[in-house]
Amino acid sequence: METIATILNNVGIGEQQALMLAILLPFLPLLLILNRRIREGRKPVLRSIPGYEALSNYVGRATESGRSLHISMGTGGIGTEATAETLAGLAVLEHIATQAAVTGLKPIVTVSDPSLLPAAQDVLQSSYAVHGYLGEYDPTCVRFISTDNVAYAAGVADILEHAEVEANVMVGSFGDEFLLMSEVGARRGIGQVGGTTSPLILPFIYSSVDHALIGEEIFAAGAYLLDKTSHIASLAAQDWLRTATIITIVIGILARTLA
Amino acid sequence: MRRIVNAVAVGMKRTIPMAVAMAVGFLILIDFFFDESHINALGSFLVSSAVILVAFALLLGLLNVLLVHFKRIGRREEGWPYSIFLVAIALIVLLAGISGPETDVVKWIFDNVQFPLQAATFSLLAFYVATAAYRSFRLRSLESIAFILTVIVVLLGQVPIGKSLSEFLPAAKDWILDVPSTAGVRGIIIGVALGTIATGVRILMGFDRPYSPEASSD
Repeated sequence: METIATILNNVGIGEQQALMLAILLPFLPLLLILNRRIREGRKPVLRSIPGYEALSNYVGRATESGRSLHISMGTGGIGTEATAETLAGLAVLEHIATQAAVTGLKPIVTVSDPSLLPAAQDVLQSSYAVHGYLGEYDPTCVRFISTDNVAYAAGVADILEHAEVEANVMVGSFGDEFLLMSEVGARRGIGQVGGTTSPLILPFIYSSVDHALIGEEIFAAGAYLLDKTSHIASLAAQDWLRTATIITIVIGILARTLA
Repeated sequence: MRRIVNAVAVGMKRTIPMAVAMAVGFLILIDFFFDESHINALGSFLVSSAVILVAFALLLGLLNVLLVHFKRIGRREEGWPYSIFLVAIALIVLLAGISGPETDVVKWIFDNVQFPLQAATFSLLAFYVATAAYRSFRLRSLESIAFILTVIVVLLGQVPIGKSLSEFLPAAKDWILDVPSTAGVRGIIIGVALGTIATGVRILMGFDRPYSPEASSD
């Protein structure tokens, strides 16, 4: 083990980087193999996630009632530490935007990080364009509120309080401010789906929304909602690596106990 | 001829952003893995460039705020007078900050308006935690029963009265926090780490293209 560490240090790779490489290197071929298998028709069965199933119902209810739907992709942005969570939120937005373009639903999308504003507008615009309703696209559907988390929460709370909102979907990176928004939604009886990765915020989500997406479930949005082959393949690759991690942990425990 | 030119233009529109994104992504990754001065310098330059781009996005944000609120004022939507107030304040702070963010006027605005308002809004969190907890404590399922029992044990184990009731409560509290709670949190963290890697790899390999009009490949 020490020999490996010395060799890696000589080529300029530290311990943390070596660990990261050990996870990343098997992931690349695994993803390619699984992607190919799924393209050939061997698609794995996905377990049901109630939060994603509820999304379609909320879109349907909002369309029927003529009310709107609020979508938040968190207080993170693209290019920050929360990029992965933010992209998961964008996948949810892509799904809702597709349905909105077809049904005429006017979603209200709020962003806290300015880097997300053009990305969210692009997702909405592309969905309308793909379905031939580009004229229906309204760029002010996406609203930049504030880079400050508390100010953002206050702005969203105002929308949930006063706008005609049927459902509130908040998937991305959030801090304590999540509760300032979700509690307004809960008080008004708005259907809510929430999801984030931070274990500190998950209790807030669990206790204040109807359907919680816990931790890595938010990264499954592309596979569940958009049915994209690459997303399903990466979900399967994650399962393989998780199994490998569990086996490694068990071996580690046994080795340590027996030694 | 025009058809060929169009096809090439469409192809380039799709390929060039993908090639740039993949090249930059791999460079940043190499910068993370290897301690080589030239690559490190290039990595730092690319990261600084991203920061500058985000600063421009902030201008877009300001334009968006003005557009949304001018539209609201124009249509006399519910609460439109507040929009006038918001636009006026935004312009005042913008003018006050033109000579720099460290001026006395900007500092005064932040110290006497921004921070007290933030503190007041955030203080609501205590009440919201109480109402959220109340909602969770309603018996709905086996899951909520387990939730309530855990909360009771942890709460009683945390306060002196718990210890006077039973020696078992503080020990049970410690066990809950050290074993099932920590195990659950670690499970979530491992899952999130794998999900983050998956997202990064998909973008690096060009499967996901959030920067392209054709969002991603199937």
